[in-house]
Amino acid sequence: MRDSVETPRLPAAQEPRPYGNPYVAGLLLGAALLASFLVLGAGLGASSTPIRCGAWIESLVVPGRTQQSTYFGDKYLADGSNPLRYYLTYMSLGVLLGGLLSGVLGRRVKVTVERGAKYPAARRLVLALIGGVLIGYASALASGCTSGQALTGGALLANGSIVFMLSVFGAGYATAYFVRKQWHD
Amino acid sequence: MINTFYGLGKLVTAPTPATFLAALLIGLAFGFALEYAGFSSSKKLAGIFYFRDMTVLRVMFTAMITAMLGLSLLAALGWIDLGSQIYLLPTVYGAQIVGGLIFGVGFALSGWCPGTGIVGLALGKLDALVFLVGVTMGAVLFNETYGWTAGLRTEPQELFAFGLQRSTFALLLTLVGIVAFHLAEWAERIAAGGGRYLHSTLLRGLSVVLAIVAVIVFVLPSGPQATEFATAAEASSASPALMRDQQLLLQEVASAADHMDPPELADALMRGDKDLLVIDVRPADEYEANHLPGAVNVQLPGLIDYLASSGHTGRIVLYSNGMTHPAQARDALVRLGYRNVYLLTDGLRGFLDQCLMPASLRSYPLSDGEAQRVRQWRSFFAAEEVPAPVGSSTEKLASDAAAAAEQASSDQAVTIAENDAPRLVSTRWLSEHLQDPDLRIIDCRTHADYTQGHLPGAVYLNFESIRGSVNGIPSVLLPGDLLVQQLSLLGVRPDDMVVLDPGENVRDATLVSMMLQRVGHARWGIMHGGFPKWSGEGRRVEATIPTVARTDYPLPPRGDVFTVDAQHIAQRLGDGKTVLLDTRPTENFTGEESSEMRPGHIPGAVNRAFKRDLDAAGNLKPAAELAAEYQQLIPSLETPVIVYCRTGHQASLTYFVLHEMLGYQDVRWYDGSWSDWAARSDLPAVTGDQ
Repeated sequence: MRDSVETPRLPAAQEPRPYGNPYVAGLLLGAALLASFLVLGAGLGASSTPIRCGAWIESLVVPGRTQQSTYFGDKYLADGSNPLRYYLTYMSLGVLLGGLLSGVLGRRVKVTVERGAKYPAARRLVLALIGGVLIGYASALASGCTSGQALTGGALLANGSIVFMLSVFGAGYATAYFVRKQWHD
Repeated sequence: MINTFYGLGKLVTAPTPATFLAALLIGLAFGFALEYAGFSSSKKLAGIFYFRDMTVLRVMFTAMITAMLGLSLLAALGWIDLGSQIYLLPTVYGAQIVGGLIFGVGFALSGWCPGTGIVGLALGKLDALVFLVGVTMGAVLFNETYGWTAGLRTEPQELFAFGLQRSTFALLLTLVGIVAFHLAEWAERIAAGGGRYLHSTLLRGLSVVLAIVAVIVFVLPSGPQATEFATAAEASSASPALMRDQQLLLQEVASAADHMDPPELADALMRGDKDLLVIDVRPADEYEANHLPGAVNVQLPGLIDYLASSGHTGRIVLYSNGMTHPAQARDALVRLGYRNVYLLTDGLRGFLDQCLMPASLRSYPLSDGEAQRVRQWRSFFAAEEVPAPVGSSTEKLASDAAAAAEQASSDQAVTIAENDAPRLVSTRWLSEHLQDPDLRIIDCRTHADYTQGHLPGAVYLNFESIRGSVNGIPSVLLPGDLLVQQLSLLGVRPDDMVVLDPGENVRDATLVSMMLQRVGHARWGIMHGGFPKWSGEGRRVEATIPTVARTDYPLPPRGDVFTVDAQHIAQRLGDGKTVLLDTRPTENFTGEESSEMRPGHIPGAVNRAFKRDLDAAGNLKPAAELAAEYQQLIPSLETPVIVYCRTGHQASLTYFVLHEMLGYQDVRWYDGSWSDWAARSDLPAVTGDQ
C-alpha cells in the first residue's frame, strides 16, 4: 500500500516497491494451482509442513508416546517413516524461496513485528501465537488450511472445502472486531 | 492424456526426486504469487475482515476460478481424467465446519494463515515466525487431544458441486466471483476510499474472459460423455473380433461372472488352492497395515508388467478396499487377453463384513452352520497374520471387523446370542467409539484405582459383588435374576456394546464377562492391555462420576449352558473324551500347597496354570501362540473341555481364552471349583503330578 511508505522518507533506491496488481497475482496463483493439479495430481498445501514439524518434534521429545498416538503415530510416523519426507515439505521450501525472491525484487524484506503503530509488539506477538495454535489445531482437524482446503478444494468444487471456506470467513468476521486495535495506526 | 505423479502412485506412495523437485518449483510460483499479491503482510491480509482491503478475496477468487476453469476445460476435452489422476478432496462436514470456524478465529487474531505465514517469515516478519511456532504447537495439541474430535471425523464422502453438474456449478461460481470482485471494489471504496480497480480495463477484461471460458466449459460435453462419443465412433469401425471380445466382457460384467465372493475366496485361501494368485492393488502402506494372507502387493501402474513376468495361468483375484479400481483394472487386463481375472466382490470391506465380522455383531441371524463357518474363517484369518508390534493383528482384524460392524448395524438390535464377538477390543478402537451412544464401559479395577481416574464414562463394578453364596456353595456367580439387577443399576441395555476395562488383572474382567454371558448379553469385549495401556498411550482419562440412568435389563429366558457343578463332572470322570483343565498354580494342583479341606486335584485333570496364558506384562498372549499351546492339550475344537480353579475366578480366564478367543466349542466352567469339590468328601481327589 502506498500510504505505508509516506513517512519517513527513504532514499528512492531503498524504498519498497508497491505490491503487484491483485488480479495479476490471482492469475499467477491460479496458474501455480493448475500446474500443481496437472503435474503433481494434487493441489497446493501449506499447513502440512508445520503440522509434520509438530509430529517430528514431538517424536524427538517423547518418541514412544508419539509413535503410539493415533494421529501423528498412524498418519505420519507409521513404519518409522520420516514425517518431513513428503512433497508438501518441498513445496513449503519453494514457498519460502519464492516469497523471498518476490520480496527481494520488491525491496520489502525487513525484520519487523507487523502491527498498528500504537499497538505494543508483545501483545501483537501473543495474538499471533494464539491465532497460530488455533490454526494448527483447526488445520489438523479439517485436513488442510486456506491453501489445501479452501483454494484447492474450492477449485475442485468439493462440498466440504467450500463449507470450510465459508466457516473460516464467517468466524473471521465475527472475531475481527474484537482485535481491531492491533492494526490501528 | 496427462499422467500426474498422483496417478502414477509417485506422489505419496513411492515419491521420486522428480516429485520433490516439481513440488519445490510449484512452491516457488506459489510463494512468489502470494508475496507479489501482498500476502507477506498480516495487516494487509487482515484488511479483508474490516472491508479495508479486499485483496484476499480478489486473489483467492481469481486463482480458484482460473484453476477450476482450466481443469474443467482440460477434463472436458478429454486431456485429463479427474477420477484417476487428481486427488479429489473428500468431504467430512463436521471436521471441516468446526475446523473452519476455529481456523477463522485464528486467522482474525493472527492475521496469518499457514501459506502466507511462511511467506511472511521469508520477508522477516517476526509475528509470522511466532505464528508458525503456534501452528506447530496447535498440531501437537490436536494430536494429544485426538479423542475430543472423534465425533466430528465421520466417514469421508465424495461430494462435489452440491449435487449440480460440475460445469453448471463452475459457471455459477465464476459469475459469483465476477460479482464479488465488483462488490469488493465498491465496498473498499465506501470503507476506505480504495477500490481503484472498480472501472479498470483489467477487471473488465478479466471478467469477460472468465465468463467466456466458463460458458465454453458449460457448453462442452463433460469428460465421461466425451469418452463415450469417442468409443461409439470407434465401435462402428471396430473389427468383428474386437466387437465379440467386448461383447463377452460386457456379458461377464452383467452376469457378475467376473466376481469372486468373499466366502468363496476365504474357503479357497483356507484350502490353500495352488492355482490362486491374490493381488492387493492398494498403496503399499495400506498393504503393510493389513492384507489377506498370501496376497502380493502390486499397484495398478505396475500390474501389467507383474502379470507378464509372473506368467501365472491360474485364477487371479484383484482386490482393493472397494471395487472401482480392481474393476477398471480387470477390464484393461481382459482387453489384453487375460481371461482368468476376478474381482473380490465388495473388496476388502466386503471380506471383513461377510467373513470376519463376528456372528453376534451382525444385524441378521445366522444358522448354526453359517456361524460355524464364520468362526473358522475368523480363527484362520486372524491367526494367519504375523503379529504387529503394537497389539496383535488378531486384535487389529477383530477391531476392523468390529468397526465395520458398528457401521453396518449402527443402532440395530442384535438379538441373537452367539458366543463369538471381537472380544478383545483395542484401545484405538475404543477411543474412536467413545462417543457411541450404545457404548458402556465397565471398570473392573479396584475402587481406589477407579476414583483416581478411569476411562471417560466408565462405571465401576466390584467383581466381588457379582459373586455370593448360592445353595450353600460359597463364592459362585449369582443367579441371572440378581445379575440383571446389577446391570440395570449400571445403566446397561441389552443391545449395548459393553467394554470391560480389566486394569492389571485380565481375570477380573473375564469373571465379569461370565456375568454378561450368563444373562445372554451378546455385544461385549475386553479392552486389550487394560487401563495401563490406555493411560500409557496418553489417552483421555477422567475422574468424574458418570451420569447413569437406571435401565430395566430383562431377565434371560433360561439359565446359562456353560456353568457346570460337581455332579456333572463326577459323571464324566474317566469317560476318555472330556478334557478337565485345572488352571491353578502347579503347587496347588500337586497338593504341596492347600487352603481347602483336602489338597490335590480332581482325578484325570490336566494342569495348565492360567498365568501361562499371559505375557510378562500380564496381558493375554497373541491368539496364534495360545492356539498352538492349547493344541498340545486338547485334541480338537469339538472336544468337551471343563475348566476349574479354586473359586472359578482364574478358570474364567481360561474359559475366555478357549471359548471366546480360540473357538473351542464345548467349554464348560466349574464355577464352584476346587473349594467346592474338596469339601465334598464323597468325591475322589488325588495329589501329585498325574
